[in-house]
Amino acid sequence: MDSSKNRILTIAVVVLRVLLGAVFVYAGYVKLIEPWQLFAAGIADYDVVPISVAKIVAQTLPWVEVLLGLLLIVGRWFLRTSSLSISLLLVVFFSLIVRAFVGGKDISCGCFGGTETISWKTLLRDGSMLLASLLVTFYAFRNRRMPAA
Amino acid sequence: MNKLKAIALVAVMLLPTMAATPEQEKGKAMGNPAAPLLLELYSDFMCPACKHLHQVVLPSIVQDYVKSGKAYLVFREFPLNIPAHKYSRQAAAVAVAAGRIGKYQVVSDTLFRDQAGWGDSGKVLEAVSPVLAPAEQKKIQALMNDPTVLADVQADVDRGMVSRINQTPTIIVTYKLRQQPWTQFQDYSLFRGYLDGLLKK
Repeated sequence: MDSSKNRILTIAVVVLRVLLGAVFVYAGYVKLIEPWQLFAAGIADYDVVPISVAKIVAQTLPWVEVLLGLLLIVGRWFLRTSSLSISLLLVVFFSLIVRAFVGGKDISCGCFGGTETISWKTLLRDGSMLLASLLVTFYAFRNRRMPAA
Repeated sequence: MNKLKAIALVAVMLLPTMAATPEQEKGKAMGNPAAPLLLELYSDFMCPACKHLHQVVLPSIVQDYVKSGKAYLVFREFPLNIPAHKYSRQAAAVAVAAGRIGKYQVVSDTLFRDQAGWGDSGKVLEAVSPVLAPAEQKKIQALMNDPTVLADVQADVDRGMVSRINQTPTIIVTYKLRQQPWTQFQDYSLFRGYLDGLLKK
């Protein structure tokens, strides 16, 4: 019974890991196919960093998202580093989104390019992603080697 | 005879491209309507950020994209419905009325320049009178009460609502049928880079 439960949990974590990785690859990709200035403007709208920093983040973060997403999907190398990095990124993203939402900022979340305005839906989605990433990170550290997809 | 028919046919086919757009007819557009980029600028005459855009950033946009034929610029009214902007709609009506007699640019320049003055007193028409001839002032005064002018202001607001405008100033950039709102004007190089990036696509 315990073995069966463990197996189900392991499969669930693998599925979550691959889905989370795919979401990160997609998030990076949709930003990379747009002029980076669009993402930089979105970052600047949060009023957290100066435009000069927003420009640097906009040109690097999408590549980081794609790389971390791919590492998470593959799950062979740097799994603990990638899952922990994604969790930390999601903590930052989620905090910024909550701050903007509570502050009444009617801005685009900048999560997947486009013009999605921050709403309860955004909070729910990013909150779920954060929980999933914490779970994946927990298992990545608990099991020295997680099953690959 | 056949040659004449052919010429007439070509003329009929070209007619829609030669006709003025509704915005041109109302004096609220700049540039070539066939330009690859369409920039729709939604402003509120009482908004300080709109004043900054109009006076500092817009001349560069006009120079770099409108005059070079890369963009067609359309001015849209978006008077915010907030207590602090109680004369915004009136100012928008004055500007639209001025557009009907070909004076949109000079009147909107004046409205932004003297924003603090008429914003306090509510004397919008008086604020623009120095840049208008007496006959023009009378025409604008009459047009301000024209329901079609008020309807034009509302049509811009409705259009902005459909495009999910939630702040001013906003430029809706349309390129290859895709719309993207842009609200970040602190650093013009960012907007310029974005438009250049689109044009390279």
